[in-house]
Amino acid sequence: MLKRLLTASLVIVGMFGLLGPAHAADPVKIGFSIPKTGLFAPAGPSQLNAYLVWQKMVNDKGGLDIGGKGRRKIEFVQYDDKSDPAQAVKIYEKLITSDKVDLVMAPWGTQHHFAIAPVVERHKFPLIGNTAASVALRKVKPGYLWFTTPMMPDNLAKEMTAMLKSRGVKSVAIMYNLLQFASENIQFLKPALAKAGITVKFEAKYPPDIKDMTGMLTKIKGANPDAVLVHSYPGDSILYMNQAREVGINAKTQYVMVGPAIGFFRGMFKSNLDGIVTMAAWTPGLKNTTGSQEFYNAYKKMFKGHEPDYLDSVEVFVSAQILEQAIAKVGLNREKIRQAVNTMTFDTIYGKIKFDGVQNSITPAGFAQIQKGKIEVVWPKQRATSAVVDKGAWAK
Amino acid sequence: MNNSSNSLRFIGIGAVIAIFGGLSGFASEYMLGIGFTLFMYIALAQSWVILSGMTGYISLGHVVFFGSGAYVFVLMWGLVPVWLGVALSGLVVGIGALIIGYPVLRVRGPYFVILSFGLAELVKNLVLINEARMYMSLRPVFGAPSLAQLYIAMLVLAVAATGLTYWVRRSRFGAGLRSIREDEWAAETIGIPVARLKLIAFALSGIVPAMVGAIFIMRSGIFQPGDAFNPIVSFTIVTMAIIGGSDDAPGPLLGVGFLVILQELLWANWPEIYMIILGILLISFVLFAPSGIYGWLSANISRSKKNAA
Repeated sequence: MLKRLLTASLVIVGMFGLLGPAHAADPVKIGFSIPKTGLFAPAGPSQLNAYLVWQKMVNDKGGLDIGGKGRRKIEFVQYDDKSDPAQAVKIYEKLITSDKVDLVMAPWGTQHHFAIAPVVERHKFPLIGNTAASVALRKVKPGYLWFTTPMMPDNLAKEMTAMLKSRGVKSVAIMYNLLQFASENIQFLKPALAKAGITVKFEAKYPPDIKDMTGMLTKIKGANPDAVLVHSYPGDSILYMNQAREVGINAKTQYVMVGPAIGFFRGMFKSNLDGIVTMAAWTPGLKNTTGSQEFYNAYKKMFKGHEPDYLDSVEVFVSAQILEQAIAKVGLNREKIRQAVNTMTFDTIYGKIKFDGVQNSITPAGFAQIQKGKIEVVWPKQRATSAVVDKGAWAK
Repeated sequence: MNNSSNSLRFIGIGAVIAIFGGLSGFASEYMLGIGFTLFMYIALAQSWVILSGMTGYISLGHVVFFGSGAYVFVLMWGLVPVWLGVALSGLVVGIGALIIGYPVLRVRGPYFVILSFGLAELVKNLVLINEARMYMSLRPVFGAPSLAQLYIAMLVLAVAATGLTYWVRRSRFGAGLRSIREDEWAAETIGIPVARLKLIAFALSGIVPAMVGAIFIMRSGIFQPGDAFNPIVSFTIVTMAIIGGSDDAPGPLLGVGFLVILQELLWANWPEIYMIILGILLISFVLFAPSGIYGWLSANISRSKKNAA
């Protein structure tokens, strides 16, 4: 409830922002869809907030630099897609053909990117994706869609195995949600583990709306693996954190895929989150990046001390930086933007990014760990801000 | 009704269909999208009426046909020509319905309502597990036909489903189905083969939704069990049929037209209000106009005719 109120007030605040002083030039209209209701509603704010922070940061500078020929402010046109890909298709058609936006930005999640791919292709609207990750993305015909994520399941499996080896892990227990991204990870992880000689002592999959995992966790406790790898989404991550403590899972390496990088997890689990490894590749202090600390500060200021989601919000902001830099170079001509995105190297909060086909070809997949209440990048080693440490005992 | 007014009516219907078909040539993509949704729900609601409107076996899980059709279709995607795939998905699901309907239709009344809902959830989870086993929880459908083609295909299905409902309602078969609704035991006693009729109705009401599901995933661009078997689709079908009213073809047309247009007017600007209005409408119709728009209209028209006479 509080979160909804917060989101509602944010939207209102955002709207007032748009009403500000009269602009010298017309604003640039940018459209997107957001899951405000439905299955993915809890994930929506991570994306929307990052868009709003970017808008404010750019507008405070006077607007987008349009190919060196003056600045224009950003105006957003957004609709709730009800977490339904078919609705997202309708929304992007409306944005392009009826609302006549200048540009579009990404919807939330892999499925929505697939759904709207034909729409942006047909209308030749370049779209920098975010919050989408799947090896199936590589089947998207290169053209008008690019994916910023470094978190491709095959690369993740490689890095995960390397990290486990570096920690001397001999055996693991695997649990995973039946949703696409989690099960795709397992597809690549199991062969990688086998190749590295790491045994899988326990493996279980579960439905997205699982309400109890104590049965599985009790078996894991009995199997006593060196590491527990939970491929979960925010809802089931919360369940794991609570029930692993109750059952007493004491593996020194515990990986909880999506959730721990979101700000409210740290408030919810406090010191119990220390030592949990999660999927994220950013922290405000990350070296060789552009604008990380500025983004972090602006986010905290705009959202009253709340932290960005170190996974989704970051990736969303990266996609915005890419768009902003392409426009600064070539202006608002969509065909020129497409060519720019294909050829330029961008400076982002992830570091340098260049696309090879539809994929980000520079940023490596990686992991972060919560250490003393802060999120540190711990893998791969060349990007790490801290080394991986053991998960300590659970506090009661 | 005499022959000349009948043929006039057919010419009128034909003209409306031709106009809708012709729109595909020049209407904006946004308008075609609305038309697509309209035809989709007409086809779904008409199919629902064949089973639930006529026999009184209220199905709260009609999405099971829609989702299964989509799944069968996506499994064949790229292997067979697109429109053959659509037809085959209807055929496969129809045969599947004949098999599964045999045990399912032995359950009556509120138990059938719950069972139909449970069946859809069961199939959804089976598909989910099967897909996860193959690590394919999400299948992109790249290279689908254009929206204009999908729009025409959906129009064809809407016309076919409406025609089917119209025909069944006036056939001996339909009379048998309605006797099941009024009193199944009595119908059985006087020699109506209720088990066979129910089974045929069940299969018939599944074929068109399966093809609708197949066409739908070409529009949404991906297949995902959670979306393809979304219970909201079932609820929407029931809502439209109730608001439209009646066990005859015009009822669903009115209900679907009313709700789709309402939704299009409201979703972009006030999505929350849309849900509230939907709830109020549903309650009002159940309480005050249980026979729906069509029932209300025909009652009033016949009353005014009587008054005029």
